[in-house]
Amino acid sequence: MSAILSSHPVEERERGARTSLRIPISVALSLAIIILVIAWSVVPGLFTSYSPVVGVPAQKLLGPSFAHWFGTDHLGRDVYARIVYGTSSSVTSALIAVVIGVVIGGLIGLLSGFLGGWTDIVLARLVDMLLAIPSFLLAVIIVTALGFNTINAAIATGISAVAIFARVMRSEVIKTRQAVFIEASFILGGSRWYILIRHILPNASRSVLPLAVLQFGLSILVIAGLAFLGYGDPPPASDWGLLISIGKDYLKWPWLVYAPAFVTIVTVLSVNRISRWLRKTN
Amino acid sequence: MNRSYLDYAAKRIGQAVIVILLSYVFTFIVVSVLPGDPITNVLRDPQNGFSEEEIQQIIAAQGLDRPVLVQLWASLSQFLSGDLGLSMRSNRPVSTLIAEVLPSTLVLATSGLAVAIVLALVIGYGTQFLPRRYGQGLLRGFPSLFLSVPNFVIGLVLIHIFGFQLGLFRVINADSFWATFFAAVALGIPVSAQIAEVLIANLDHEARQDYAAVARGRGISQSQLFFRHLLKPSALPVVTVVALTIGELLGGSLITETVYGRTGIGSLVQRSVTTQDLPVIQAVVSLAAVAFVVVNLIADLVYPLLDPRVKLIGTVKPRPATGDDTFDDRVEGIPS
Repeated sequence: MSAILSSHPVEERERGARTSLRIPISVALSLAIIILVIAWSVVPGLFTSYSPVVGVPAQKLLGPSFAHWFGTDHLGRDVYARIVYGTSSSVTSALIAVVIGVVIGGLIGLLSGFLGGWTDIVLARLVDMLLAIPSFLLAVIIVTALGFNTINAAIATGISAVAIFARVMRSEVIKTRQAVFIEASFILGGSRWYILIRHILPNASRSVLPLAVLQFGLSILVIAGLAFLGYGDPPPASDWGLLISIGKDYLKWPWLVYAPAFVTIVTVLSVNRISRWLRKTN
Repeated sequence: MNRSYLDYAAKRIGQAVIVILLSYVFTFIVVSVLPGDPITNVLRDPQNGFSEEEIQQIIAAQGLDRPVLVQLWASLSQFLSGDLGLSMRSNRPVSTLIAEVLPSTLVLATSGLAVAIVLALVIGYGTQFLPRRYGQGLLRGFPSLFLSVPNFVIGLVLIHIFGFQLGLFRVINADSFWATFFAAVALGIPVSAQIAEVLIANLDHEARQDYAAVARGRGISQSQLFFRHLLKPSALPVVTVVALTIGELLGGSLITETVYGRTGIGSLVQRSVTTQDLPVIQAVVSLAAVAFVVVNLIADLVYPLLDPRVKLIGTVKPRPATGDDTFDDRVEGIPS
């Protein structure tokens, strides 16, 4: 009776069981897109011969064509080139944000779940506090305090993600801590810290990976949002969010918004797809 | 209303108070202690044309010459007594500034939430009853798609299509019905994704239960099955999710108000950030945290009362588990 009343778990298992090593087409496509985006950020010069900074005034505000895939902007610069050159900053900053979230959040979750007791209670309230401040607002005030540029926007985004990682890490640690092999390791004479580093951390980290990937996509959006509001690097830069922000003043030439928006959406969508796939195969 | 519920309630209220106090202190630290000293930066900015004497006056009036801990204590006790201080810019009470723009943001946020809920319900209904091969997969992809689109892009696309191409509204007239409507849609779409994700998972679960099979066997219609049987048990856990989205709504209004040129809390924050008007930022962020905590507290307190299964078992532990002694498991993003 109470099993029915208390509702849930189980069910997910049946799906997980038949996942094999085969990669679904959508995931392969997503991976290809991410590889392309990474290539853009590492060697942008390979993908376009136009300059992202110097434009040809005579060619301003041209629509998409073979010469200019995504058209040109109000200064005659190739929008595709601007996007390609802006990738590095957009991707790197999202990566910084995720690393900050994973490291700080993971550490908090690890300590809180492993030590328990007062440490847990205190850290739990701190995490609750971080969750209570709307995350975008949190990012805004931190970037205000640090100063407006893309790196600071990334740091702010990372801090606003700490709480989520702390929670997941903690619940994973607690789950792992109760496993039999941990008990065995303890009986075999493993010290607390040995067990924490050698057994609990690797096991608990496994489910943090899909979350980190998901957060990477989310960070791209948050950082784009901050750039949109003007809290990132100023104009000669061409972060995706900034490009959209500039484009909004030229809505009569909609590719200035649609092109960078399209790239952002496709990237984030791919990242989310990979995250979902990782979560299922885990 | 048994004993364990009262214990649970007392504990949650205690936690809520602590979290509110902590978030105030945290905001205070972020805003006033971190490097950069925005106060002198802005006040001494020659563009603002304050004389040195005026700067000293402002610093004295705001009590900025006192040790940080004293400032914190003064500021916190002021906050607790309901006094939000004076804006550094306009010297007007922060509470007045907020009161002026709050209605506009409330309209936007509640209509945004309404859009989100309706959209989530439509998606949820579709995932259960559309032909499996065609519409379903597409609909199931919607939440993920919605979460991949920056919300300012949604806003801009709506302006471009409905404002520029169809001429339905003009952005200059930000408070017109259509402008507000599309602003609400832009704000609501990403929020609907979170609600829809949970709703779909619950609907899937309920649809597999025996009672649903029995109901289908009785030959009732799809919409009857949906509204009379599946929706209620599926929607209950959604209450908690909706409460969690208040942060999203407040944060999103920052961007949506900018895109649509509305005046509201979001534009107030933006203005205060550019002019580094710290008392205003501090007040808005703290109040946002209060709103978030209070709404979630209410959701957590009401939840066990709404869901009779929780009471039957005797231990008060709502399903998205909030009553756990320290953390809880309602992690956004990844269902365990």
